[in-house]
Amino acid sequence: MPFEAMSTAADEDLLADYAAGNASAARVLTQRLAPRVFAHAMRMLGGDRAEAEDVSQEALLRLWRAAPGWRMGEAKVSTWLYRVTANLCIDRIRRRRGGTDIDSVPEPVDETPSAAAGLQQQARAEALQGALDALPDRQRQAVILRHIEGLPNPEIAEIMDIGPRAVESLVARGKRALEAALIGRRAELGYEDDD
Amino acid sequence: MTERKDNRDDPVLPKGRQEDDALGLFFAAARAETPQPGGDFLARIEAQALAEQPRVSSPAPVVLPRRPERLAQLREALGGWIGVTGLATACAAGILIGVSSQDSLSVFWGGDAAGLGTLGVDPLSGFDLALMEG
Repeated sequence: MPFEAMSTAADEDLLADYAAGNASAARVLTQRLAPRVFAHAMRMLGGDRAEAEDVSQEALLRLWRAAPGWRMGEAKVSTWLYRVTANLCIDRIRRRRGGTDIDSVPEPVDETPSAAAGLQQQARAEALQGALDALPDRQRQAVILRHIEGLPNPEIAEIMDIGPRAVESLVARGKRALEAALIGRRAELGYEDDD
Repeated sequence: MTERKDNRDDPVLPKGRQEDDALGLFFAAARAETPQPGGDFLARIEAQALAEQPRVSSPAPVVLPRRPERLAQLREALGGWIGVTGLATACAAGILIGVSSQDSLSVFWGGDAAGLGTLGVDPLSGFDLALMEG
């Protein structure tokens, strides 16, 4: 595939090119996928940059190794990659928390420090991240994929290996918990003026 | 990967919910503050991708069955090594007979009685004599 055509090529076609030994495909895939994998890992891991880099590197390493046997038309590269990334993140979170099933642990109170009035977008994003971190893993994953990554429910269902109705349920429960944690802080985060 | 989109354009959420979704403002802020990887990290990933890339091996040279050499063909035509050895022996004997004087070959013929000189072999045939004598 010519280099100029790669920017518009599908991930799957680029992966086939990669497996065929095309070095340009390796570079384009890295530029395209690594930032998204990293961002997803950062959100899942609560902003731990070093851990997010480790997870991203591991997820992409698995992709490179899966490339020669990739079966076109069976799975989207992005779906596969989101699933691997999220699973690696959840493994790390569970190890970090001593292997307890955090889905059974009561949701902790949001301890994000108060943002002073007038804080800008970054503070709002940080407040959301703090509230996301307090969600159970699967709820957090579903909410991030649905409302930040912007994926449709059927793709999220495939990533999470559950049914679309289960996705809706997880997203709904996650959003209720986020609302409970954040709505009361809208004024201090400067959202009253936005309405 | 799927491009991110604002949930206000979300085809899944009901239209009425898209605008008044209070959390939408937080989600929009999170999308605007997407964590970006560092250049070193991207360089590391790219190096890893290239290192893991399958090498395209050049096709193995096709080994064509070798045509037998001319000498081998000749040897086979003469019946193998046995035939060649016999022929070489016959050639050597012929040369020996050709270069030797008639008398020296008498030993092979069983003594003077059978010597070529004794036999009076005329080297000229009747045709040759007739030709010379007109």
